[in-house]
Amino acid sequence: MSVPSNLAVRVADRLGGLAGPWDVFAERSRRFEIHLNGLRVELTRGPIVLEGYGLRLLRGIDGQTGVGHQASTDPSDEGVRAAVEGAEKFARFNQFPAHHPELPSGRPPTRSGLAIVDPALWSNPSGALEGFAAALVAGFEGRKGVVPSFSSVKATLVETSIANSVGLAYAYAHTVVETEVAVKAFGGPEGRPPGEYWFTDIGRRLDVRPLPTHAADWSRFAEDARHAGSTPNGEVPVVLPPEVLAGIIPTVLRFQFGAAARLRGLGVVSESQVGAEGLHVLDDGLFDWGVGSSPLDDEGTPQRKRELVSNGRATELLFDVLHADALGATSTGSGVRTGGIEPSASVSRRFTRRPMPDASTIVIPAGNGGTDAEVIEQVEDGIWVQQIGWAEPDGLSGRFGGEIRIGYRIRHGKLAEPVRGGTVGGVVVGREGTPSLLHDLGAIGSKPELNGSLSSPTLLIRSLPVSGDDHPSAATTR
Amino acid sequence: MTLDSKSLSTAGSPPLRGVVFRAWSGARWVETAVSGLDERALAGAAESLEAQLAAGQPTSPPPGPSATTVGSFDTAPKRPMRDLGTEGALAWVREVFGWLTDTPAIKFGRVSLNWGDEERYYLNTAGANCFQRLNRVHAGIVPVAIENGRSEFDAFSVGRLGGQEVLDAFTEATARRVSEGARALLNAKAPPSGLMNVLLDPGTTGTFAHESFGHGTEADQFVRNRSYLQPLLGQTVGPELLTLVDDGSIPGAWGSIFFDDEGHRSQRTLLVDRGRFVGALHDRGTAFTLGAAPTGNTRRADFLGQAFVRMTNTSVEPGDWSFEELVKETGDGVLLERWVSGMEDPLGGRMQLKVLKGHRIENGKLTDLVSAMALSGSVLQFLRDIRGIGRAELREIDAGFCGKGYGDMLPVGDGGTYLLSRALVGPS
Repeated sequence: MSVPSNLAVRVADRLGGLAGPWDVFAERSRRFEIHLNGLRVELTRGPIVLEGYGLRLLRGIDGQTGVGHQASTDPSDEGVRAAVEGAEKFARFNQFPAHHPELPSGRPPTRSGLAIVDPALWSNPSGALEGFAAALVAGFEGRKGVVPSFSSVKATLVETSIANSVGLAYAYAHTVVETEVAVKAFGGPEGRPPGEYWFTDIGRRLDVRPLPTHAADWSRFAEDARHAGSTPNGEVPVVLPPEVLAGIIPTVLRFQFGAAARLRGLGVVSESQVGAEGLHVLDDGLFDWGVGSSPLDDEGTPQRKRELVSNGRATELLFDVLHADALGATSTGSGVRTGGIEPSASVSRRFTRRPMPDASTIVIPAGNGGTDAEVIEQVEDGIWVQQIGWAEPDGLSGRFGGEIRIGYRIRHGKLAEPVRGGTVGGVVVGREGTPSLLHDLGAIGSKPELNGSLSSPTLLIRSLPVSGDDHPSAATTR
Repeated sequence: MTLDSKSLSTAGSPPLRGVVFRAWSGARWVETAVSGLDERALAGAAESLEAQLAAGQPTSPPPGPSATTVGSFDTAPKRPMRDLGTEGALAWVREVFGWLTDTPAIKFGRVSLNWGDEERYYLNTAGANCFQRLNRVHAGIVPVAIENGRSEFDAFSVGRLGGQEVLDAFTEATARRVSEGARALLNAKAPPSGLMNVLLDPGTTGTFAHESFGHGTEADQFVRNRSYLQPLLGQTVGPELLTLVDDGSIPGAWGSIFFDDEGHRSQRTLLVDRGRFVGALHDRGTAFTLGAAPTGNTRRADFLGQAFVRMTNTSVEPGDWSFEELVKETGDGVLLERWVSGMEDPLGGRMQLKVLKGHRIENGKLTDLVSAMALSGSVLQFLRDIRGIGRAELREIDAGFCGKGYGDMLPVGDGGTYLLSRALVGPS
């Protein structure tokens, strides 16, 4: 693997005697994509090369801090000069209630050997993508009445570098893989309309090993969607697997435990009971293969684990440098240049954003609920939700909700017929004493799985409101 | 530029310049792209493309008609945002913030103002050589009410192509109304649940037009056999009062463009004409495959993104019902207000729409305020159940951002007026 480009240092060298505090965060990314229509390649893209940096200046203004940020794709002398001018201009206008923020001075990462690069992908991106596409196609060969109607795999190879006015200069490499597969089930004598299962994932490596199992599962979900019945209507025990939880929990916890919310009088109250006793939640910036994992955060503070919830109580918050100073704390290594709602923006366009307090990989450790089958056994009458259209969680209110694209009725402790339609929703973190997903846990499974920015086992929620057009029997947990 | 109760933040977006090259290999499109306009980097991207082409065997010309558009197109606002300047914009933001937070129970507020000039050149080997400048302005307000540990928010935003005139929508009365909306939500009742009559406000109708119906008319889904609408082309899918269009040529609308990213001019495309499904949205490839013409709907998020069939401004055309008549016709049901999001299901033909709030309708009258809801069900059934559409004066085109599949967000307009139908309503 080649040594990462240290664009941040090259830009920093051009800053001359610029007064601090300042930092430079830079990225050089190469993206490669392959798009399939059915089993045929219809488009290949790459390399898509993006190189840029963000210059941040911190200036004392009227007892507060003026934060100036200017991003640029031009690392020439002229480009850097323009970036400095832009950042200085914006620093004069901006106000943040920090008094003496201190940038990290180059403490080394707390852990070496963090797994965030897929070496085979790094050394031969086009070949690795073609191999993955071939394995994906092979997973569907011989399957009657099932086909991936379209698929895409996007692999981004990123070289990140950070430098600042107090001597930090660090560079590291990482890979990100975004996968999307729409599997369609069709045909058959009964003339039913086709069904679809739409898989999306973001991770750090191209792994062909699970593809045969995935193809079998996705095919089954697509076929089951064709003859799924109605979901029940009412307060129902709901089992949520890790891939569904990944679309619900991180967004809410990122906001609720972020110091930006605390500064504004929002978010969780420290030491309040935000979940069931026995529930522990971590934010682990050093989680192997986590898309939010990195040796340093985006301000250069070494990454570490943070305990957000201990035995159901809110403990630690997420601080970047500025919010830590404003609230009399120290940075927790949670200064993240988030990319907003688009995943790919978080991959290679962080340099366009200013750091804000944010989570890395949220981790819910294994509980004692056992395997998925054992979690299901605890439900007399309820549903297993395999996929929600878009749960669209809201950080501020903690609410989430969306259409059940495919799920299964649970009857007498076993998965029964597939169900589809209607909505499921609720609140992830509520006020103390009010119902919420984290409070109302009936079981925490024993087999955590990493999906995007969440590592979690399957969870049983004792009761969630489900709006369907079927009438439940007395839906209960056992 | 964002001002909230604790901080003021202004920043300059990067002048994110770059180039994407596309070529037909004989069997598929191949693309490379590079940021910056450095000659050496551009040459590198071109060489990489040529190397990939050399590995293929040209067997056919590229599918569909190449654009030949030539010209320069500009939004040319009469009162450009640059004339307002940073200090003028700050004064505006501070004034609106004052209005927004001057309501009891509003403990936190946020005002945002974003503007930028997007410039795109398109050139091809068939002679197209065109340039467009789109001046985008987007502003929004979010008041948060907090009482007894419960927090609720309301929101209002406007996005258009243009200049300072876009900000005229934000008056003191508007800001206070939105703040009052957030305060009132503290005491909102739980929404109803189940199958019922639903009256969509104009923004929610637009989101339905875009997410629930529009995505199914993108012809790349036809080519993949992935649209529930494909077999219905030419057939009646709704009542005669329903007409649905995609129109990228509406002056000033958020999703408008002068030409698309294959160089074809934007246009008005009829999707549903008086209840009959008559048209789809095409790029050159789908037009070739399906025997149609490109409709000016090929869009890239930017030079780093893929070009494929996307909507522009998608809307339900107005009907002739007044709001009062629609409420009365609803009888018992719910009014869905302040759309939050929608989610497409191109093959399954199901829908998911989420709103921030609403009102119950009982015996033909608006009653209790209710909190956030999600609406779901079959799109085709929803179309068949449409019973009324509001008048033209109630019409709005809201500014949204659309992703297709996993990412590639770009600006789109969602338009409509009040629309009465029937669907499943549940918690959100």
